[in-house]
Amino acid sequence: MLNFFIPTLAFLFQQASGSRLSQTWDAATHPDLAKFLVIGALLFIIGVAGVLTRRNIIVIFMSIELILNAANLNFIAFSRYLQETGNANAVAGQIFTVFVIVVAAAEAAIGLGIVIALYRNKETIWVDEIDLLKW
Amino acid sequence: MRLSGYEALFFWIFALAAIFAGLLTVMARNAVHSALFLISSLVSVAALFVLAGAEFIAGVQILVYVGGVMVLFLFVIMLVNVGAEEKGRDEIFNKQKQVAASLIFCFLLVAGVLYAVSEGYKGMQARNTTPPEQIAAQQAQRDRSLAVGATRTSRITDDTEQVGSSLYRYAALPFEIASVLLLVAIIGSVMLARTLKQEVSADDVDPETLQEEKALDPELAQLEPRSE
Repeated sequence: MLNFFIPTLAFLFQQASGSRLSQTWDAATHPDLAKFLVIGALLFIIGVAGVLTRRNIIVIFMSIELILNAANLNFIAFSRYLQETGNANAVAGQIFTVFVIVVAAAEAAIGLGIVIALYRNKETIWVDEIDLLKW
Repeated sequence: MRLSGYEALFFWIFALAAIFAGLLTVMARNAVHSALFLISSLVSVAALFVLAGAEFIAGVQILVYVGGVMVLFLFVIMLVNVGAEEKGRDEIFNKQKQVAASLIFCFLLVAGVLYAVSEGYKGMQARNTTPPEQIAAQQAQRDRSLAVGATRTSRITDDTEQVGSSLYRYAALPFEIASVLLLVAIIGSVMLARTLKQEVSADDVDPETLQEEKALDPELAQLEPRSE
């Protein structure tokens, strides 16, 4: 009895774990849309954490650039996905990305102009010391 | 879309590089280090764009972000340089309670987004009935129709052509609006970054403020009379 069960169990276990391992290996060696989305999500969260935790207003601006870039990554990944599967306008994501980059450049120029004006008047770039709108 | 072979290897290299550089951007003490880490993160993301078949956007990303926006950032860091931060005297993060609350929020956001991505992707796969082999075959078919490069080992992508024609065919009005937006941004940042002296000599200061400032700085009075 034992002679029969142990090899069978071992075989089944090997089969199950082996197939799961090979599935994971297959998923890792063939990154698909979901992997791009996960990378984009992680970059986005890192950017959000930077905006929420840093005191330096320039680093906060850099974190915003990181957030916009994560959104761009998602657009590009979906653009590629639609090129292969859908019949929608396949490069719409890439065109949207161009506009996101334009808006990011404009936002950086305006934001850094505000930072310079603020530094001239308040002599600080710590966001917790900039409280002109509080009363 | 399924990358394979060296594409997969480079995907993981650049994805990890982008995330680590992003983390270091947020955690670096010196703002210049932050900017340099952000540059490496942006370059890694541009490499991911190339892997996803968006060569034009990758080039735009490097030219506009790394070549333009980040240089602007570095100039502003030089203009408003704060020494205390770099020497380790000043706290670079907010108060501990705020940091803890925002990190909890970020972890919840991570969990929610990852759950949404996995569930949504399952739904997309269920809806997409075309087998991956057939998609790969179609992709190979499209690749074969591209022009061969000079070395005869690779093919020339038509991504830039597609983006260009699509940009002017479907997005001509947003394109014009974007150019107006850039003009507004240029003028606005020039207006914002003027010094008080420049504002006085352009006669662009509120009279009451001007009186107050003149009391503080007599030099302004010399600038003010400007007859044309």
